[in-house]
Amino acid sequence: MTIESKKDAGKLTLAVTGRLDTSTAPKLEKTLKYSYDGVTELVFDLKELEYISSAGLRVLLSAQKTMNKQGSMKVTNVCEEIMEIFEITGFSDILTIE
Amino acid sequence: MEEKNSTAKRKKNKPKVSIVFKSILGIIILLVVFSLIVSFMGFNNFTEALLDQYSDGAFRTADTAVMEFDVSKIEDYAASGGKTEEYITALESMERLCNSSGSTFIYVIRPDLSDYKHITFLFSTINNNSNYTRYEFGFVRDTTNEEYMEKYRKLYEGESEQELVIRDKGYIETDPHITAMVPIKDANGKTAAILCVQRQMDNLVRVRNRYIIKILVVMAALMILVIIIQSIYLHRVFLRPVTKITEEASRFSHENDLPEKKLSETVRNNDEIGVLAGSIDRMEERIVKYVDDLTKVTAEKERISTELNLATKIQASMLPNIFPPFPDRTEFDIYASMDPAKEVGGDFYDFFLVDDDHLCMVMADVSGKGVPAALFMMASKIILANYAKMGKTPSEILSAANSSICSRNREDMFVTAWLGILEISTGKLTAANAGHEYPVLMQPDGKFELYKDKHGFVIGGMAGLKYKEYTIDMKPGSKLFLYTDGVPEATDAEKQLFGNERMVAALNEKPNGSPQEILKTVRSSVDAFVKDAEQFDDLTMLCLEYKG
Repeated sequence: MTIESKKDAGKLTLAVTGRLDTSTAPKLEKTLKYSYDGVTELVFDLKELEYISSAGLRVLLSAQKTMNKQGSMKVTNVCEEIMEIFEITGFSDILTIE
Repeated sequence: MEEKNSTAKRKKNKPKVSIVFKSILGIIILLVVFSLIVSFMGFNNFTEALLDQYSDGAFRTADTAVMEFDVSKIEDYAASGGKTEEYITALESMERLCNSSGSTFIYVIRPDLSDYKHITFLFSTINNNSNYTRYEFGFVRDTTNEEYMEKYRKLYEGESEQELVIRDKGYIETDPHITAMVPIKDANGKTAAILCVQRQMDNLVRVRNRYIIKILVVMAALMILVIIIQSIYLHRVFLRPVTKITEEASRFSHENDLPEKKLSETVRNNDEIGVLAGSIDRMEERIVKYVDDLTKVTAEKERISTELNLATKIQASMLPNIFPPFPDRTEFDIYASMDPAKEVGGDFYDFFLVDDDHLCMVMADVSGKGVPAALFMMASKIILANYAKMGKTPSEILSAANSSICSRNREDMFVTAWLGILEISTGKLTAANAGHEYPVLMQPDGKFELYKDKHGFVIGGMAGLKYKEYTIDMKPGSKLFLYTDGVPEATDAEKQLFGNERMVAALNEKPNGSPQEILKTVRSSVDAFVKDAEQFDDLTMLCLEYKG
């Protein structure tokens, strides 16, 4: 998994590539932990994301909770397979997916 | 046995060629080359100087002899047959000169002027001290070689006034000599004969040989001196400390503990060797520390491993695992299994009778894997079971569990859960889904199909959520298959997912089998798909057959 981050004033865009599972989720969690400062809009670009496991969903949930306090968060470019996972787990109800 | 081996190995560490020998060999080669150059130069210089001296003397004698020689009488001499008084007087005078000048031969010759290949001796005198015998008057012999011929010709044809032939083959020449030749000219300035003075150069050889021997002796002495000094020096400043270092390195590689005395304390060189000794000290300290750490870590790992082993057993025993679980109930058959990817897993299934007529079933999956997931799983299982046993409906159970988990969930863990309660008498299954996989349902005479139920959000994700309930009418022969994402997301070596389609197909392979057989079929289908790839998620399944 690779994370490409782009910051533009208060807007932070994270493009996540590859597999987001138990072994890679901690890396994303760590990246997020150190980038929340001053972020009012967090965007996940999941165009290149191949797979997300529950550990990955947990990181998204944490991010959503944090951003509820300091701004907004949305998830973009979700492919069909990932969307199915979001729907099954009910994440599609709590995430802003574009 | 091991001790023996280690000493044998240590012996191998002895160098094949000592560095002292190598460095001395280098110096010796240098000395030999140097002495050869010096000898060669001295040899040449001696030869040149002595040759000059010898040729000077020979020519001087020759000039004297020519002066004393009465050229006007040459034809008389030639005709004398060596017997006239005149001839004998001249011969005796030449003989005296030969002896007094220290020459070996003084002789007068007349070459065969047509090709200079033969010479005729007119006079021939010999030094009394030599062992040679003189040529008699009129003796004819072949010219020694072409060099002589050429020189005779030059003298006769007036091309030069003196010639010198050097017979010296170099070192240890047995009989080196020079021959000085001057023409004897008549009144008209024409060459009538050639006067030759031959001198032995015995001194040359002696002086040169003595010189070379001296050089060799000096060089040999020098070499011995160098070998001794160099050996001592190298041994002191180089070999001894290096040997200590190699011994220490060898010792360390076998014993792996710190030495009694540090290398830097025994090797006190202030040069690179000293630096090396210090480096080895530090390296050994670090290795020992590293090994210590590693030992501790390994021990710690073993402890964790033991504990995890125990945890695996505890977790497994928490799930209903005795089949058949309700031997006296004929209305339904149920079978379930859980295979964690690691020692402990975050998946769980559960089933229990709420009362005589209600069977509660749970299939759940905690986010993540391993110990954190397992701890969370244990809590979730107990919470869900407690609420279920209070007689709540599935949606109420999930909502209540969500609230109580959310209230103490700092790590944002969550659990997906499907929970259903079967009314055994009627076959009415009431269920709710908190973000879990779709159940798979088979109605009698039908096939297993995904049942796309209504989904709520995962438990523990967000407080205050409500879950929707739905009901399914189970008929005698209906089967329900529940699973976690470990089944459809089982992955082969090429990163391909097993997928829902393969899973449903596996279920339909033997749809009429017992729940246990159905789970076995799915499991072997998953195994055949992933082959040797590592199982990376927990694999949990449950199958219920309603018999009515």
